[in-house]
Amino acid sequence: MNLRAIGCNVASAAVELRERLAFNPTKTQTALTELNARFAAEAVVLDTCNRVEIYVSRQDAVAPLHIPLMAEFLAEIHGVPASEIVPHLYEHADAQAAKHLFRVASGLDSGVFGESQIAGQVKDAYEVALKSTATGPLLNALFPSAIRVSKRVRSETGIAHGHVSVSSAAVDFVRQVFNSFTDKTVLVIGAGKMGRLTLKHLAELKPAMILVTNRSAEKAADVAKECGGRVMPWAQMHDALVQADIVLSTTGAPEPIVSRQVFDNKVRRRRAGRQLVIFDMAVPRDFDASIHDGEVSVFNVDDLSRVADGCMAERRRHLPAAESIIDAEVAKFVGDWNTRANGPVIGQLLSEADKLRESLLAPLLAQMNGKLTDNEKADIEKAFRLFQGRLLHGPIAALNQASRDGHSGLREALRRLFGLNG
Amino acid sequence: MTAALIQNIHHYCIGLSYLCAFLLEAGRLLWPAKGWRVAGLGFGAAGLFAHTAYLLVQHPSPAVPYGSVLLLAWVLALFSFYGTVHHAKQAWAVFVLPVVIGLVALSRVLLTAEPEHAAFDLAAWASGDRFWGGVHGVLILLASVGVSISFLASMMYLIQARRLRRKVAPGTVTPMLNLERLETMNRRALNGAFPMLTAGLLVGTLLVPHGPSLSDNWLSLKVLSTAGLWLVFLVLLYLRYGVHVPARRLALFSVVAFSLLLVALVASHPFATGGAK
Repeated sequence: MNLRAIGCNVASAAVELRERLAFNPTKTQTALTELNARFAAEAVVLDTCNRVEIYVSRQDAVAPLHIPLMAEFLAEIHGVPASEIVPHLYEHADAQAAKHLFRVASGLDSGVFGESQIAGQVKDAYEVALKSTATGPLLNALFPSAIRVSKRVRSETGIAHGHVSVSSAAVDFVRQVFNSFTDKTVLVIGAGKMGRLTLKHLAELKPAMILVTNRSAEKAADVAKECGGRVMPWAQMHDALVQADIVLSTTGAPEPIVSRQVFDNKVRRRRAGRQLVIFDMAVPRDFDASIHDGEVSVFNVDDLSRVADGCMAERRRHLPAAESIIDAEVAKFVGDWNTRANGPVIGQLLSEADKLRESLLAPLLAQMNGKLTDNEKADIEKAFRLFQGRLLHGPIAALNQASRDGHSGLREALRRLFGLNG
Repeated sequence: MTAALIQNIHHYCIGLSYLCAFLLEAGRLLWPAKGWRVAGLGFGAAGLFAHTAYLLVQHPSPAVPYGSVLLLAWVLALFSFYGTVHHAKQAWAVFVLPVVIGLVALSRVLLTAEPEHAAFDLAAWASGDRFWGGVHGVLILLASVGVSISFLASMMYLIQARRLRRKVAPGTVTPMLNLERLETMNRRALNGAFPMLTAGLLVGTLLVPHGPSLSDNWLSLKVLSTAGLWLVFLVLLYLRYGVHVPARRLALFSVVAFSLLLVALVASHPFATGGAK
């Protein structure tokens, strides 16, 4: 295996440099073509907002590509001096490069730990290279494996469980309460920017109705237009609260707009025990915190942030399990690749042995011509084959075992020992 | 050989299979891996097979506590297996299987305490002697299934509601069905069980005068607890549809109903042996 992963990420390079090294489709195409043509290397370019990496593989006998050469190459593509790039590049070789890709695809190396978007980006990067015929046997085996491993890590560990942003944590909570949203009403109170992203997530649940109310009818109309909702006059807010199943409140009011007493008297008793989830995203808060009980759930920004942080901590708890899956998969990949790389050597060894056997057997049989029956000739041929098979069984078995153990040196030794040139 | 093996199926085989399935399901929640689920389903299926074979070979009478509890456990085991297959990502069996295991164990204790009249007398039932007793038993059993499902849904509801009250992060705890789904399950189970229980009680009421001791029959623990169960049901339906009490309180009532059901099932049946015990 002659594999290198060379690049920079959010930890090794500032965003200013990553921006200058970012690939657009044209540059990607140029890079892939040039890597193929100039270095006889199969290549994949992985470019995301967090990283710029190039995966390259060459024939075993050829010298691998290292950081200085790749820095020169990147400098040429992007017009950035190589001396500025070199200090920020990292390099992973062979099994470590495979492991790095598996970790990247599984979201273990992402800014948002365990995020799943990166698996799609890895897949896209591979498909671009595949379409450009820039990939070869190694990368064609490596990238599909990385995508499969990322799926395995996500399904067999809790690395992708829960949501780690405030707005998506809100969606997690409503899913704990409601089963279907097509018969639910979402009420938006206020027009604060804080709640826009949460509203976007809630709107994606396709509720039956979105009501928007605000002291300013104009602002309410703006928000309603944005989310496809209906404006409700501010004076009817309590009626809207009775009707609503989910409330998103983001006013800039200096004190709570709904007290416990008002809620109990004007809203709760008219709701007939129906569940209500309130996301109070305003600071200071819009709803009296004591409204929260088994029937009405009130979550403020701190609650949602705590949940997001908790989910992140929970994801990190699964890191050892994810790492052990990746280690096992890397060992399997390297073993399989090395065993596969033995094929030509073993084929040539058997072919040479066959030729040698024939060259010895043919004169012998010619010399004994007329003295042996057909059965005796067949027995002698069989004995030669048996001898050949038993003689080669040990070296071939040892070669495959060494490959499975991640050692490829024996292949070269075998070439030299038996004078193979393939 | 196979027939002999099936003949020897014991409560322990059933209970241990369910216990293994439960432990594997619980293990899956701590260390998620595909193997746990497959193994858990395998043990669940093995338990269900053993349970079914036991019922077919031993044909316990539903009119005696041991038989009715074992039959109820079988229906709930089916419910558990279906739920585990259908709700792959939810911790379904973790809630249902402990009840199933508890009922199997209870059935074993009841069999030890009262081994006679344990088998179902098909000939007597078919001849008409105990036809209405059988109808009564089937109706009560169906109502019991409804009450048990309602109990399980209520327990899950209470846990889920408690998590929400404490604002526990959803991704960090055992995955469960949402409140709305659990509330619907509870409502359907109770709505289905109430007519069965009412009809079963009416048939039972008509049968009581045929017993040897009238006052003993009416005052037996079974009759009283079943009547209590029916009253709790009535209150439950009134609270739900009459005054719209919050679902959490209804869930608590469902737990009370299940407790009364257990008392009713465990209590000796006045028609099992032709008289009250």
